[in-house]
Amino acid sequence: MKARSMLGRSVPGTSLVHRLDARVKFLGAIVLMVVTLSARDVRILGFFLLWTIVIAIISQIKIKVIMRSIRPLLFIIIFATLLHLFTVEGHVLLRLGALKITREGLISGGLTALRLALMVVNTSMFLTLTTTPLAIADALESLLSPLAYLRFPVHEFAMMMSIALRFVPTLLDEADKIMKAQSSRGADYDTGGPLRRIRGLVSILVPLFISSFRRADDLAVAMEARCYRGGAARTRLHASKLKTIDIVFSFILLGLLLLVFVVQPHLPLLAFPGGLAS
Amino acid sequence: MIRFKDVSFTYGAKEGQLPIRAVDHLSFHVKKGSHVALLGRNGSGKSTIARLINGLLLPDEGSVLVDGMDTTDSLDIFEIRRICGMVFQNPDNQLIGTTVADDIAFGPCNLELSIDEVNSRVDEALRKAGLTELRDRAPHNLSGGQKQKLAIASVLAMEPECIILDEATSMLDPLSRQSVMELILELKEKSDISIVQITHHMEEAVLADYVYVISEGRITLEGTPAEVFDQFERVLAEGLSVPTHIEIARRIADATTAPYRPEDIFTFDGAVSFVRSVLSEYSSSDVPVDRLDTFDKSPSKSVESEDRRVDDDAHESDRECVVEISDLSFAYVSDAGDPVKALKDVSLSVYKGEILGILGHTGSGKSTLIQHINGILPSKKGTVVVLGRDLSDRKVVREIRRHVGLLFQYPEDQLFEETVALDIAFAPKQLNRTPEQVERAVLRAAKRLGVDSILHRSPFELSGGQRRRVAIAGVLAAEPDIIMMDEPAAGLDPAGRDDLFSDLMTLADEGATLLIVSHDMETMASLCDRILILYDGEIVGCGTPRDMTSSPEFLESVSLVLPTAKRFLNRFVDLFPNLDTNCYTAEEAADSLLRATAEECSAN
Repeated sequence: MKARSMLGRSVPGTSLVHRLDARVKFLGAIVLMVVTLSARDVRILGFFLLWTIVIAIISQIKIKVIMRSIRPLLFIIIFATLLHLFTVEGHVLLRLGALKITREGLISGGLTALRLALMVVNTSMFLTLTTTPLAIADALESLLSPLAYLRFPVHEFAMMMSIALRFVPTLLDEADKIMKAQSSRGADYDTGGPLRRIRGLVSILVPLFISSFRRADDLAVAMEARCYRGGAARTRLHASKLKTIDIVFSFILLGLLLLVFVVQPHLPLLAFPGGLAS
Repeated sequence: MIRFKDVSFTYGAKEGQLPIRAVDHLSFHVKKGSHVALLGRNGSGKSTIARLINGLLLPDEGSVLVDGMDTTDSLDIFEIRRICGMVFQNPDNQLIGTTVADDIAFGPCNLELSIDEVNSRVDEALRKAGLTELRDRAPHNLSGGQKQKLAIASVLAMEPECIILDEATSMLDPLSRQSVMELILELKEKSDISIVQITHHMEEAVLADYVYVISEGRITLEGTPAEVFDQFERVLAEGLSVPTHIEIARRIADATTAPYRPEDIFTFDGAVSFVRSVLSEYSSSDVPVDRLDTFDKSPSKSVESEDRRVDDDAHESDRECVVEISDLSFAYVSDAGDPVKALKDVSLSVYKGEILGILGHTGSGKSTLIQHINGILPSKKGTVVVLGRDLSDRKVVREIRRHVGLLFQYPEDQLFEETVALDIAFAPKQLNRTPEQVERAVLRAAKRLGVDSILHRSPFELSGGQRRRVAIAGVLAAEPDIIMMDEPAAGLDPAGRDDLFSDLMTLADEGATLLIVSHDMETMASLCDRILILYDGEIVGCGTPRDMTSSPEFLESVSLVLPTAKRFLNRFVDLFPNLDTNCYTAEEAADSLLRATAEECSAN
């Protein structure tokens, strides 16, 4: 099913990247997102390209799988690149009617594509590909736990996420079954006007909602029967301590931040003003 | 350890709805370490009783005591829930964790145990339930039986004194049901855990120490299983059934007025030896034959249907073939990413007006096969010709669906309209019929399924059994020539199942072709003209019920079981060489035995 592959599938493994603490990886993904998008200097972007390749090798994930993670965002990357290509003013290389391609546009478009691709590859390598959804949910709970002081229901939020993860595949199967059942009753989801299609959607969504409510009801009873009473006193099953490698990696992340926000502004300019992401 | 004192419970009492009294002045108790079965039809109040035990519901009147603690005392409620673990009916809706181990840990975590204690309890529960190897799997990727075993393991991790099974096996296939029951019996044997089993499967009730039959929230019958099933007419009147061997023995005992003790015919072997001794005595001595004559004259169903089958065989070449499948293969990619061959070179002809039973274990390809016949699944390899038209043309598929109705398992899940009438009208409306035609079709389908009196109600306020009937009417309203059904009676109680099947069989009398997918050889053998057996995506047998049930070894090798009545009769072929063993119900089997005895008598 298409929808299932969009959820992102973690590739089991025992590499250094796999073994990193999910919390560190979560923060790492955010840091890498920020630094790749803020890297204006070609040399620094080059460094990140190298970094990404090294991480990819360490993670032992196949190139094909990594490339697949770019696919959903390919459209956005192409769109952003074209935008830069045609809008940046400068030395004109080619004119197509009202459109013109400049040398600066070419460079800036290329760098934008690189920047976005690196961002996507890094987040998917650290999160979706090497971390199970469950570990991400646990990490999020742990990272959000300070918010409990602000009366934010962190535990309930985490329970909600983990139940959602548990039931997504079940509901996808259910949707598939209902769609087949209604098709067997003559429903046609591919042809006809918009009104007919919306009507068709109703015949899938209503049973799906109703069964989800029933499931929610059943699940609530089952949870109560197992003594669930919410709250923070529950035993934390996945509480894990940071390992040396997590601390080392955290310092590397700090280094990356310093590189982009402290070192980059002081780097001598290159001959051409590349990568002005405006 | 559990004691109900004059307990009543009424639904909807507070919300101003029509109140429904689910439990009515009920008193009973469960002793420590005992195995109690609560039997009753769908909607008899069994599940309400289960929820009253562990305080998920609180009684309106009377009191419920668990180990001396009252469920209305909120201070004890979590201790009561820990002591009385509960396993529910739907395997999908009670698993909370994203992995097997996490789900087991859920309860102990709620008990606020230390992390080491939680982990050791998880290991222990995994071991007891035999799930250690599945530890890190997602519940979604388990089979139904494994899910229910996981639910049991999750309860065990809380170290309960009692396990309440609320129809925990009713959504499972026979083999999974058996393996779950084996686990339960093993637990009972190894520890002094009490078991309260709510069920409408008699094979499970037989295993209990004590049985309560519940009807409309009251106990109507109670005793040891032997005592309860001895009153088989009362049990049948309650809409339940009696294990086939007990019923055969009882019918023979009644017909011959032979004395017996309920315990003697309680086991299969006991019933066989009892009947053997009674009948051999009759056939060897000069008994009043006239008393047995009555059975000889009574028209026997099995003889009649046998004639019809022979007749069918003779004209097979003349009969119109409505579905022709040749060399159909189908593969899909599993969640784990492995290719699975669901069908391998399947070839099959279905004839007009026949009832074809499609049997096989879970995952044998039964559902995949019928989904090809109305083009829900495209035939990529092989051809499917329905009513003379090849389904490889997608335009034909749309056309053919109005002639081929497909009913999925638990079809009530597909209801969505505001009223029953509108929902049944969905299919005929898609066919662009005139409003008058639609109305007529709706009425006819509703009448057939006996839901014509509730056409203006919302499908969501009906009982499960009624919703099932509405959903079936929704498929029949398109007036298909071929009707395919996937386990149409799943989850229904014995009487509900029999009623539904007898309504469905009238379709065949009117010339419709029926394809019924099932695990249940017993029911299929008695209903179908032909049986098709699938095993791992291949057709391993196809023929009359007589041929398909002739070899117990073959059936076992394809994970099916021989109908009990036939297994019973097979033990008598040495006594009566001319015995007709092609009987699939207790009534037919008893008749057949008595007929054979009468013949033997007159021969002497």
